Amino acid sequence: MDYVIEMNNITKRFGDFKAVDDVTLKVERGEIHALLGENGAGKSTLMSVLFGLYTPEAGEIIIDKKKVKINNPNDANDLGIGMVHQHFKLVHNFTVLESIVLGKEDTINGFLKMDEARKKVEKLSDRYKLKIDSDAYISDITVGMQQRVEILKMLYRDNDILIFDEPTAVLTQQEIEELMKIMRELTEEGKSIIFITHKLNEIKEAADRCTVLRKGKYIGTVDVKTTSKEQMSEMMVGRKVSFIIEKSDVKNLSPVLEVKNMTITNKFTKKSVVKNVSFDVKKGEILCIAGIDGNGQSELVQGITGLMAINSGHIFLNGKDITKKSIRHKCIEGIAHIPEDRQRYGLVLDYSLKENAVLQTYYQQRFQKNGIIKFDAVRDYAKKLISQYDIRSSQGEDSIVRGMSGGNQQKLIVAREIDRNPEIVIAVQPTRGLDVGAIEYIHHQLLSQREDGKAVLLVSFDLDEVMNVSDRILVMFEGEIVGDLNPKSTTVQELGLYMSGSKRSDSYESKSKA
Amino acid sequence: MNTIYFISQQTMFFAIPLLIVALGGMFSERSGIVNIALEGIMVMGAFISISFISIFQDRLSGQLLLILAILVAGLSGAIFSLLHAFASINMKADQTISGTALNMFAPAFAIFVARMVQGVQQIQFSDTFHIAKVPILGDIPLIGPILFQNCYITTFIGITIAIISEVVINHTKFGLRLRACGEYPQAADSVGINVYKIRYAGVIISGTLAGIGGLVFVVPTSTNFNATVAGYGFLALAVLIFGQWRTKKIFVAAFFFGIMKTFASAYSGIPFLKGLPISNEVYKMIPYIATLIVLAFFSKSSQAPRAEGIPYDKGIR
Amino acid sequence: MKAKAKLNLINSAWGVSFLSAVMAIAIGLLFGLVILLVSNASEALSGFAAIIQGGFADGAKGIGDVLYNATPIIMTGLSVGFAFKTGLFNIGSSGQFTMGAFAAVYVGIKWTFLSGSSHWIVALLAACIAGALWGLLPGILKAVANVHEVISSIMMNYIGMYFVNMLIVSNIHDKIKNQSLPVLKSAIIPKAGLDKIFGSQNINIGILIAVLMVVIIYFLINKTTFGYELKACGYSKDASKYAGINARRNIILSMVIAGALSGLGGGLLYLAGSGKYLQVVDILAPQGFNGISVALLGMSNPIGILFAGLFIAHITVGGVNLQLYSFAPEVIDIIIAAIIYCGAFALLFKNIIFKFSKKKVKEDESI
Repeated sequence: MDYVIEMNNITKRFGDFKAVDDVTLKVERGEIHALLGENGAGKSTLMSVLFGLYTPEAGEIIIDKKKVKINNPNDANDLGIGMVHQHFKLVHNFTVLESIVLGKEDTINGFLKMDEARKKVEKLSDRYKLKIDSDAYISDITVGMQQRVEILKMLYRDNDILIFDEPTAVLTQQEIEELMKIMRELTEEGKSIIFITHKLNEIKEAADRCTVLRKGKYIGTVDVKTTSKEQMSEMMVGRKVSFIIEKSDVKNLSPVLEVKNMTITNKFTKKSVVKNVSFDVKKGEILCIAGIDGNGQSELVQGITGLMAINSGHIFLNGKDITKKSIRHKCIEGIAHIPEDRQRYGLVLDYSLKENAVLQTYYQQRFQKNGIIKFDAVRDYAKKLISQYDIRSSQGEDSIVRGMSGGNQQKLIVAREIDRNPEIVIAVQPTRGLDVGAIEYIHHQLLSQREDGKAVLLVSFDLDEVMNVSDRILVMFEGEIVGDLNPKSTTVQELGLYMSGSKRSDSYESKSKA
Repeated sequence: MNTIYFISQQTMFFAIPLLIVALGGMFSERSGIVNIALEGIMVMGAFISISFISIFQDRLSGQLLLILAILVAGLSGAIFSLLHAFASINMKADQTISGTALNMFAPAFAIFVARMVQGVQQIQFSDTFHIAKVPILGDIPLIGPILFQNCYITTFIGITIAIISEVVINHTKFGLRLRACGEYPQAADSVGINVYKIRYAGVIISGTLAGIGGLVFVVPTSTNFNATVAGYGFLALAVLIFGQWRTKKIFVAAFFFGIMKTFASAYSGIPFLKGLPISNEVYKMIPYIATLIVLAFFSKSSQAPRAEGIPYDKGIR
Repeated sequence: MKAKAKLNLINSAWGVSFLSAVMAIAIGLLFGLVILLVSNASEALSGFAAIIQGGFADGAKGIGDVLYNATPIIMTGLSVGFAFKTGLFNIGSSGQFTMGAFAAVYVGIKWTFLSGSSHWIVALLAACIAGALWGLLPGILKAVANVHEVISSIMMNYIGMYFVNMLIVSNIHDKIKNQSLPVLKSAIIPKAGLDKIFGSQNINIGILIAVLMVVIIYFLINKTTFGYELKACGYSKDASKYAGINARRNIILSMVIAGALSGLGGGLLYLAGSGKYLQVVDILAPQGFNGISVALLGMSNPIGILFAGLFIAHITVGGVNLQLYSFAPEVIDIIIAAIIYCGAFALLFKNIIFKFSKKKVKEDESI
């Protein structure tokens, strides 16, 4: 077996917590090896050890048959190991060229010499078909192009072992296909690739073999062609997971939320991020807005909830015009919002659980009198939410939220929003970064709302979630709605075409005449 | 015409220290460390270097003494700033608190030591550095009187520092890496750059320049040091913000404030202004009011280094 | 069980903060001792003793002086601490203090139509309003134009200083001594017998007013919906916007209240009838900066600020006595600076405390 990498019995601890527990990973030369596991399984940590960001407490690493010690990214680089991180490590106001050479600059007496670098980058770009503009600023290029910059960073350093951490999370369907092609090209040139993922479809498409981790432990390594998605999924989770969600049929009822001709324009770039969008969400319906991150969904939701100002258009809730109302007023009228960035918007991290439980309701009669907070009432309410919604924390209602796990933080937000008995729940990426148990729980909550005849507006980038949970799918592309699809009659491929702008429903002609 | 020459000469004395200190602040902040201790470091640099002058002015004089003093000022500022660097980088302390502590320490230290050593807190020195006219250059029409008459070498040192700063931050490997640490240290770390070392360098540079700035502030305008730099360190912060953390704009901002300050303190030398019934105090207020107005208009879209003020911790992903 | 209870007390947020503060104070004092030793070893220990004894060296009179000294810095400490809680750094406390002092003194001299007890009360109210106005502008600039409150407040400090100097000279100037004129007797804050109890001419009911403000601010921050909103804004601007809280209004209100507190401090000091007059000099009121030290040492907690203010006043009085041993009293400021610097290491101290308390429990449980 020609193993280019052997990681034997690696253990990495953070305090008392074993992020990686006695894991062995062997990668063959020239293969695409997938590293599969849920959030928190230890995949990123294991790769960070390989890349020199962490030092393991136990175990050995063997590269090209030689035992090595990797203490920092420079060591890893010298051994030919490179990594494309999930959150790109790019400086927003650097150019592409500066980003590629950072850390490996050519200099004369300390002064930067960019000509050689420029030529080398152009050569690599041509050879691997990675088109980029060397002088563009990182903040101005697309996410797909940013990823190419990250790949070029590795190739510029003559890395032969390439690690990709969740590379497809931010790509369009087309870009994903291109990435798979690029990975094949790279292995044909003799490079070895490890890619971290929790997406079974992609493993099936691209990988040769797959190693599964669960809760820091090594579960097994399988040959992808001969292993089914269900088998891999069971290894990842430890039990059988059903991909189907039971739902009763939708009854056609009146609309709860109506958005008419909403346009939001960015003040600085003068570009419209939401272009003349109209749709409605009916009672007892889960409407999902699908699309690649960055096509206006975040702004659309922020416009509806009031976090962002809108330039034109109207919003109606149960027939009432709430376009110009304040955020608080919208809350009172019945809009519940489970925000995209739960730690930044949804919670005051330094407040306790009970203080967060009344974040939008503290001023109500039941929680205060003459401006003085009724602490007993607040405490009892928090206790109720904890028991009803199974929120776990070290000190109950007095726990500081910052110390709670992501899943429980999200449960708190969901509990708080739903317990207010809203007319519509707007949930953006509600299951991002959560483990399977928490995901099931949140889907259950959303479905209960639906059963109760409430409306749910779901924004999601997870195609499985989109297909399984929603009753109706609207696809957004470049700020416009381009399709209204029924999940029962469409496929992931078709959805992908809409999402990448390759297809448009007849009734949604492009509003922007070039 | 003489008035214009007078104004421009005076402006140099006020603008150059602001320029030097603001550039120091730029290096620190663009590496990611907020440094509000510029005031305290100026005091410390001025205190030690002027004490140096006061002690050695019997044996040395003129430009040699001044140059040595500048080196002493820079060194003391650098060493003093290590305290801030250590607290902010190693201890990951609140950078505002650490900066405030240094601001409080420096004047108290200066007064205490002065009192213990010489009985009074004011340190006197004689000005043997004034250049009435630079030979040849001082005779050039227009530029001569403005730049090369009634001046100090500190002006030229200041301008040199500005040019060097511009080159270093934008055209060297160190500058590129420093900027990365201030915008997104995780990116720098991921390519093997030692963020801690670079940030230390940033703070030490700010200490050196602020120390020099303290000396440069006192020498052209006074013959004694009284444990204060009259809020110049804070004005330099305003210059830094107004200059959007970029060398060229900082240069413009420093001279803007320099002119304001000149009007404030030297208006009695301008016949036109002296005649107006505006009290002395109003003139003194002008630079600060001007700063407020400018800030009100220019703070909306900030180009502040994105990672400044946030201690860098390798463990956080 | 006893060890567990002790551990819980030590590890509680309150306990750890308190112990961290104590450690910072200890190190700061030690540093001061070293400075004394280096300057003049023979007198160092007596000098240090003078610092530690503080007001107690003069018995009841000394204690009275400590309380008198503590009053203005408790107020500025509350001002800075209150602003900290809401996420703002009120470095403009000096300017607000000076404006408040001027307003109080002006009313105390010029508003002769007021008599009796209403005079000093109105004067103090004027002080609050003046301070509030001086905090209003940085508040508005921050809320509306995103101007960093540190820079704008510093500018306001200097503008205030020059402005007050100008106003004194044109309205209430004692030309010979270059300071403000004496205030009318009716404007001086009553002593209510405190001067007899403590045997000090300086002390008055100002200290009681300061304590009252501590209680009010504590209540405001911790028990009211207003305090809930302010803290939320301070902790997370985004989350408070999401919650429908009006962040702009709160920033402005916060600076206004902080300004009023500092202004009141100025009024309390200059209406004490202790022989203090507003000097026409270009020096920023040091009480403002001492307020920062008090707030940091008191961890922005009103009760903590009360004790921090008393402590700093205590060693300041000790510093005055230091001069007997021919040391310059600036060493007190050095000590305070050192304490603040150590306060920045709170995290380090907390870790040390955790390690120490864990060890203790292990020892106790193994018995």
